[in-house]
Amino acid sequence: MAELLGIFGFLVVLARAAILCLQTIVAGGAIFLTLVARNESLRPEELTRPAWKLIRWCAAGLALSELSFLMINALVLRSSTGISYADVLGANFAIACLVAIAASVAIMFWPESLRNSTNAIVLLPALLAVASSVVTSHSFSRMDDRAVLIGLTSLHYLATASWIGGLPYLLLALKRVTNLEARTKISQRFSLLGQISVGVLFLAGLGMSLAFVGSWNALYGTAYGIMVGTKIVLFGCLLLLGAANYYIVKGAGANLTAMNFTSLIRFGEVEIGIGLAVILAAASLTSQPPGADLAEDRVSLHEIAVRYAPRAPQLTSPPLADLSPSGKEMRRKAVAAGIKVPAAFLPGQAFWHPDTPGDIAWSEYNHNWAGLIVLAMGLLALLSRNRHFAWAKIWPLMFLGLAVFLFLRADPENWPLGPNGFWESFRETDVLQHRAAVLLIIVFAIFQWAVETNRVKSHAAALVFPAVCAIGGVVLLTHMHAVTNIKQEMLIELSHTPLAIFGILAGWSRWLELRLPAENNVRKYLAWVWPVCFIFVGLILMDYHEA
Amino acid sequence: MRVHGNGAVRGIAVVAALTLLLGVARFAEGHAILKESSPAANATVTGPDIPIHLKFNSRVDAMRSKIQLLRPDNRVTDLSLEKQTAPDTLTSKATGLAAGEYKIQWQVLAPDGHITRGIVPFTVKGA
Repeated sequence: MAELLGIFGFLVVLARAAILCLQTIVAGGAIFLTLVARNESLRPEELTRPAWKLIRWCAAGLALSELSFLMINALVLRSSTGISYADVLGANFAIACLVAIAASVAIMFWPESLRNSTNAIVLLPALLAVASSVVTSHSFSRMDDRAVLIGLTSLHYLATASWIGGLPYLLLALKRVTNLEARTKISQRFSLLGQISVGVLFLAGLGMSLAFVGSWNALYGTAYGIMVGTKIVLFGCLLLLGAANYYIVKGAGANLTAMNFTSLIRFGEVEIGIGLAVILAAASLTSQPPGADLAEDRVSLHEIAVRYAPRAPQLTSPPLADLSPSGKEMRRKAVAAGIKVPAAFLPGQAFWHPDTPGDIAWSEYNHNWAGLIVLAMGLLALLSRNRHFAWAKIWPLMFLGLAVFLFLRADPENWPLGPNGFWESFRETDVLQHRAAVLLIIVFAIFQWAVETNRVKSHAAALVFPAVCAIGGVVLLTHMHAVTNIKQEMLIELSHTPLAIFGILAGWSRWLELRLPAENNVRKYLAWVWPVCFIFVGLILMDYHEA
Repeated sequence: MRVHGNGAVRGIAVVAALTLLLGVARFAEGHAILKESSPAANATVTGPDIPIHLKFNSRVDAMRSKIQLLRPDNRVTDLSLEKQTAPDTLTSKATGLAAGEYKIQWQVLAPDGHITRGIVPFTVKGA
């Protein structure tokens, strides 16, 4: 059970993130088939068959994710409070999980006769799945304005499902429906649904932000506020993409060309990607205390200005001996020595301790050198856009240096620098994440170098780079949050958030550059966007400091 | 260069989804946080009987939450919870406490299934 407690947060978040993503796609599918493709002429078998396949697979995934969430929490609750499983099943979250499982199973086994009809009854289990998330949200837990907040959260979830969750089905329709008139009609209807959803999302989000963030200071001074700010920025990106789609559909009227359809599909792919990032940011919000509740230890604008005033990068490493052991390491040693340690604030979570000057210098050195590498890479990538600087296409190889750097220095208490052995080090989830990041960087560097220099002409290989950038951005975005407002961690998080956003933008701008039709002029502008994003990432990292 | 191949995109999407799920591992934090407590953290109170009152920022499920007392000799006692006076509050009573340093160890279940723990250290002086 101790091991289960140790990975409690990890498992819960796996399930929670999966639930939010899958629920959005399941509900999005039901809404799409009911509202967008509601006429028989707009739902040929070439659309309904793959659409229902996606809905049913996602419903199966949703049921499994809900079951996992329920089982993990039930085990931890039972072991930590001694209550019976019957009592666990009476808890609010357990009832919500059971309802969502029943709804998901109903969708999985939805009768074929109903699947092919325009009957809207499928919305019922889909809405039940969404409702189960609403009753496990902040709104449901609030003491004040509860009914209003529950209403706003419900609208927010439904609008997300209608827009982001509907996009995969729009892409299916654009790819599979052969009747041009039907495809055009579906695009126009989805465009309208998207516009309504955007308005609802914005207004509901604004209302919730007023209640849960409450002040400008909480927006930049708390982890919750920062994530809300990030959601707003990414929402702005989604609006730009939505606007691009709107003008394609509106501009072409009833005469959408093949190029128009391909552009719609490509923009839709990126909307799904960024939409997923927003949903994961939202998942991180649901598991943090609202900024309005954290009145103490907020970061002030003055502290941010002082911390991030430009200064020379730290390019000399402190000795390894100057580092203090990590919180988890201290806990492990204390437990091994039979010393009683205080309970964590979350089952399995290590306690926080202030960094020593050696720790800070170590971290700054790591970030600043990484920044120098990324800056060089961004500048070379920018140069390589010009045909006179073809040699600059070696820029991806700069990342091999970054991978070696990260592998050696990210987790100094573990192999190869520290006392913990190679296999032993994998027990730590953050070490596991760092090692996964090293692998991703190596794959990215080699593939992209081969693609840039035409050694590999595989189309899939070309997409590895933007996918890795976008994934890296989202991972960074959701990587670190403190349950309470620890000022030092907050200041660090403030620098990581723009890095994450630039990573996501770099990835998706490159993706679009590769995927948009040659006739679409947006491509040539996007070719400059992502190298500039990398230059910004490099500059931010070079100016990174923790004191 | 133009890129085609839906298989490749699907493959990347699957890898991306899995990596994202692994990558978001650290964002699970409980969100029921202690707003007020009696005794207050690090307070000195007069024994031997100490009423305990914990107020959180959200509703908590009292039936599935617990309060323990860590005594100066490191013994841990489960304290029974009284009927909730408000959905965001837990109350209990520690009786017969001798002078010394104590800790209230709380664990609460929020309606969303998040479990959060915390500690309130306090000192009892003799009556």
